[in-house]
Amino acid sequence: MLRRTLLLGLCRGPLGRGLGTHRGGSILDRDGKMSEIKKKIQSILPGGDWNPLYDTSHLPPESSDVVIVGGGVLGLSVAYWLKKLEKPRGAIRVLVVERDHTYSRASTVLSVGGIRQQFSVPENVQLSLFSIDFLRNINEYLAVADDPPLDIQFNPSGYLLLASEKGAAIMENNVKVQRQEGAKVCLMSPEQLRNKFPWINTEGVALASYGMEHEGWFDPWCLLQGLRRKVQSMGVLFCRGEVTRFMSSSNLMKTASGEEVNLKRIHEVHVKIDQSLEYQPVECAIVINAAGAWSGQVAELAGIGKGPPGTLQGTKLPVELRKRYVYLWHCPQGPGLETPFVIDPSGTYFRREGLGHNYLGGCSPTEEEEPDPGNLEVDHDFFQDRVWPPLAQRVPAFETLKVRSAWAGYYDYNTFDQNGVVGPHPLVINMYFATGFSGHGLQQAPAVGRAVAEMVLEGHFQTINLSSFLFSRFYSGEKVQEHNII
Amino acid sequence: MLKIIIPTAMLMPMTWLSKPNMIWINSTTYSLLISLISLPYLNQLGDNSLNLSLLFFSDSLSAPLLVLTTWLLPLMLMASQSHLSKETLARKKLYITMLIILQLLLIMTFTATELIMFYILFEATLIPTLIIITRWGNQTERLNAGLYFLFYTLMGSLPLLVALLYIQNTTGTLNFLIIQYWAKPISATWSNIFLWLACMMAFMVKMPLYGLHLWLPKAHVEAPIAGSMVLAAVLLKLGGYGMMRITILLNPMTNQMAYPFMMLSLWGMVMTSSICLRQTDLKSLIAYSSVSHMALVIVAVLIQTPWSYMGATALMIAHGLTSSMLFCLANSNYERVHSRTMILARGLQTILPLMAAWWLLVSLANLALPPTINLIGELFVVMASFSWSNMTIVLMGTNIIITALYTLYMLTTTQRGKYTHHIKNINPSFTRENALMALHLLPLLLLSLNPKIVLG
Repeated sequence: MLRRTLLLGLCRGPLGRGLGTHRGGSILDRDGKMSEIKKKIQSILPGGDWNPLYDTSHLPPESSDVVIVGGGVLGLSVAYWLKKLEKPRGAIRVLVVERDHTYSRASTVLSVGGIRQQFSVPENVQLSLFSIDFLRNINEYLAVADDPPLDIQFNPSGYLLLASEKGAAIMENNVKVQRQEGAKVCLMSPEQLRNKFPWINTEGVALASYGMEHEGWFDPWCLLQGLRRKVQSMGVLFCRGEVTRFMSSSNLMKTASGEEVNLKRIHEVHVKIDQSLEYQPVECAIVINAAGAWSGQVAELAGIGKGPPGTLQGTKLPVELRKRYVYLWHCPQGPGLETPFVIDPSGTYFRREGLGHNYLGGCSPTEEEEPDPGNLEVDHDFFQDRVWPPLAQRVPAFETLKVRSAWAGYYDYNTFDQNGVVGPHPLVINMYFATGFSGHGLQQAPAVGRAVAEMVLEGHFQTINLSSFLFSRFYSGEKVQEHNII
Repeated sequence: MLKIIIPTAMLMPMTWLSKPNMIWINSTTYSLLISLISLPYLNQLGDNSLNLSLLFFSDSLSAPLLVLTTWLLPLMLMASQSHLSKETLARKKLYITMLIILQLLLIMTFTATELIMFYILFEATLIPTLIIITRWGNQTERLNAGLYFLFYTLMGSLPLLVALLYIQNTTGTLNFLIIQYWAKPISATWSNIFLWLACMMAFMVKMPLYGLHLWLPKAHVEAPIAGSMVLAAVLLKLGGYGMMRITILLNPMTNQMAYPFMMLSLWGMVMTSSICLRQTDLKSLIAYSSVSHMALVIVAVLIQTPWSYMGATALMIAHGLTSSMLFCLANSNYERVHSRTMILARGLQTILPLMAAWWLLVSLANLALPPTINLIGELFVVMASFSWSNMTIVLMGTNIIITALYTLYMLTTTQRGKYTHHIKNINPSFTRENALMALHLLPLLLLSLNPKIVLG
């Protein structure tokens, strides 16, 4: 019986093909069952990732040594340096949790993308100096085999900070500090300004500082993608989810002076998957808070700030969302190609964008007129009232401009002293911060990433000493005030 | 023999019927008592074996292994208390039951008379181990690990079944006591070659031999602490014990057939030790060091001289205690820091000084410091292999150096240096953990006073 059917099948084969019946398949594969069975066997064989329980490929792993909350440029930079500085290769498992892979509200990609060394705090200058070195040699740092090199479109046009009479003395001091750290900045008087930049109206300007090298602007999206690509090639895992909970265990310990302190450590991070109730508890040893503008909320999840105010337990992480607008306009008579990133004493700034007489600019609102950070809607009246008049006064050509578009982005604004928070928290001992840079995070990201990685791996800062940026300054009240914040 | 088996079997109903807050206390104390019962077996008289019944016997080879097995159960129970504390009561009892079943099967395996009974129990031990690894392991990779573990051993041991049945047919008996007198020297025909291979492969996989060791790091890393302990301490020794028993039947072919496996073992010893130097995961490092030590045992068994057998038995007992203790230490680290990476938990000496003392002692034992029995075992094996062939001393010497290197690397990375900021608030060592380490180390140190017991 069996042989007859087999013979029949074999005979029908060549004839059947001509007659248009089941083409191309063997006699045994009539219903496609054989290929299904083959596929099943192939997936079970060692090497495949068949999981008999249920498919968990969309969930993060069950455990990871380091969990980085936030996948913006700071988070990716920390991940990169952690992987680069670990002594035995492949030692540490890193997981980056980012809830929005389109980065639609992330500060990184909405940033204007400038980089400068003209800060008043020496550590800031050092951070920017290393970062520009990183960006200049980005293809040596972030090279991935078989992938095209990165072009971050760095425009080395420099920054031009203008100071009125009141601010001239501070500017001179700042320039001295910057020169000590190695930045190349020159001071210009109003006549020199007029000679170099004829389109400037130097009324009210007493002194200007012009960065001659290593300053300008670049494409933040390119840096982000380059870091992402490199970091993935180094073995960092990415997960699309939101951190909803930290499970921690605490221990009551006595300090050297005898007072009792409750030290907490986070041993599990609950990552909730987007648009679903599913969450995965990730067992971790270290958590890095690089959540940018939302770092304050993440810190509250970890219990930072829950305590009587005025104590170390009650000191919150003072990073909050602040909305800033950026406007793009077109002005055919505007300044030419060598236009630097100009910052007016009134706080208004602008820079050239591209080669078609387009310019980007904006202004930081004062404390009273802070817009509501609930959404990223742009207020065009702000441009008319607060940005255009000083612009037109400084650059007369800007009286006739046409706003092409505008967008809004968040600053991870540090309400304490507008400088970053780096390093571990004294009480939640395995949470490290890399946030709060209030508008200059992107330009310092490579250096800050390295500093945090050194802190995690070695226990102290090795290259740039950022001990004045630790969390404990919020409790002790030592401000590291940065004067040149735009 | 029944006086060990029945109490062990009765541990199971005792666990299920105990009050919730007494399960650990009951099972630990009674298993300690059972281990005390097994101690008299060490009193072996001369060359003969202690024949206890038709089914069970114990001689100077199996007695130390038996005592090791029974000693390990209370230690495993003590080690598992912490990570099981969050489970439901039924799960805890199930876990303890699995350990007890495993213990029972292992006791019977080491004292079996008939080789077929040995084989059945050998296979049966796989099941509770598999359940422990896949159900209570830590990561999702544990399923993969369980699969590797199960199928590697099964594939190796199926030919053994065939070979044992064939031997039963030709010699008429597989009773170990009889067969040592009935064994005829076998000639080097093709079928005898396959017979040799079939007999040995199961134990080679279990030891594990260097080329077939892939299951070991996976199983050890993914297993919970009790699983790792029993795997490292006892299950690997099953392979050694089996090999020693079955080589009696396979003379004199072992002289030629052993060459490829000797080469693999010698080379694998050095290779796995070198891999240890590059490991970042603590448990993985200890797992590879197990492979390296067992490779020495394989070399010893294949040489088949009296001194090498003595070295092999001593090494098996010593390695069982040392490896199990290392896993306990690694687990105590893991429970505090929640990560197995070595560099993330450094400088523990300043924070947990007593634990650092245990770390130091066990590291010294691991690198075969005199006068521990680790050294005696290694020394006998090295001497025997030197007399077998002068060139092996080079590889053995290299292995000893590299062992010292990675053990000290592990010690200095975890204990010395400045502690990391994020381990400042780890819990201090529990009494239970200290007791665990002491109970591991005490037999090891006491045996260095009277190694005759374990020298077989």
